[in-house]
Amino acid sequence: MDEMTHKVSLTEIFLTFAKIGITGFGGGMAIVALVERICVKEKEWLSSEEFMHGLAFGQILGPFSLNVCTFTGHHLRGIRGGVTAAVAFILPSFLLVSLLSWLYFTFHKLPQLQAALKGTNPVVIGLIVVVAIDMGRKQIRGANGCLMALAAFAATVLIKLNAAWVLLAAALWSLCLTLYRRSHC
Amino acid sequence: MGSMLTLAWIYFRIGLIFVGGGYVLIPLLKHIMVDQYHWLTMRQFLDGLALSQLTPGPLAMLATFTGFRAGGFAGGMVATLFIFLPCVLLMLVIGRNYHRLKNTDIINSTLDGLLPAVVGLVAAAAWNLGVSSLSGLKDILILVVGFAIFKWTKVSPMIVILGAGLAGLAFQ
Repeated sequence: MDEMTHKVSLTEIFLTFAKIGITGFGGGMAIVALVERICVKEKEWLSSEEFMHGLAFGQILGPFSLNVCTFTGHHLRGIRGGVTAAVAFILPSFLLVSLLSWLYFTFHKLPQLQAALKGTNPVVIGLIVVVAIDMGRKQIRGANGCLMALAAFAATVLIKLNAAWVLLAAALWSLCLTLYRRSHC
Repeated sequence: MGSMLTLAWIYFRIGLIFVGGGYVLIPLLKHIMVDQYHWLTMRQFLDGLALSQLTPGPLAMLATFTGFRAGGFAGGMVATLFIFLPCVLLMLVIGRNYHRLKNTDIINSTLDGLLPAVVGLVAAAAWNLGVSSLSGLKDILILVVGFAIFKWTKVSPMIVILGAGLAGLAFQ
């Protein structure tokens, strides 16, 4: 794994994340799904576990879509890789929003664009579902795992609990379980 | 130049308390942009919100829009740079210490233990998005087709998403 990670060039990192930044419509989880598909499945830059650790850390501060990109880039080429991935991911959106802002403040209306991009919505949701299924198959083992996944789902959907709180609760639960097992082995 | 420094400082502070995904930014930015500095009217703020949702970037791209309003292209750039600075730095620090963090037994098994919750969150995101944006049989049909393509073929997601965008445009 280590030998391979040194071979990924900054240019390739830039191009990959710029591509994700251009096509990742749907934001948030859609980006995460794209990064998982491309960096874990296709290019095998990092393992599914490492990716999910990055995703969990990424919930702490800021948008986790950007954080996952930074984490993956750093994993490949250190600080320069992380910064490259972050810049490449944000750049297309930045240029697009700048252009749209300029159009908006100049002409004050942009009706078609919103309608056009609505078409991508269902497909993006389909992608997220596939990622959830694939991740679940790999990561959920046993009753405890099933319960935790269901609880996280329910807490988010039913009581609209913030993802950061859900993860904090899961981390505490998991920590207690680890300590408990350790003291009983 | 002084106003650029002010902008940088405002967005950097927002970046520091930007916890738990994008949605916390909405009340935060609204307060600063609309109520405090009067850079935007409420209407413009909401338009900017819709507009930043159109891009692949996070909701935080709203920073670019509001920054643009406050200081043109340079303002948008400064706003974008500084709102993301804290979280990029944090991720670099975490990435740098990842192997140490990972090899610490307690952290490692705690992290592994919470992975099912991450799966639940991803599934919940799909659910919430579906509830808020799917309308009618056509959308559900597209979702099923998209699901099948992603699940059983190796077609690049880029092509599928761009194709869906074009189809959406054509059938408008």
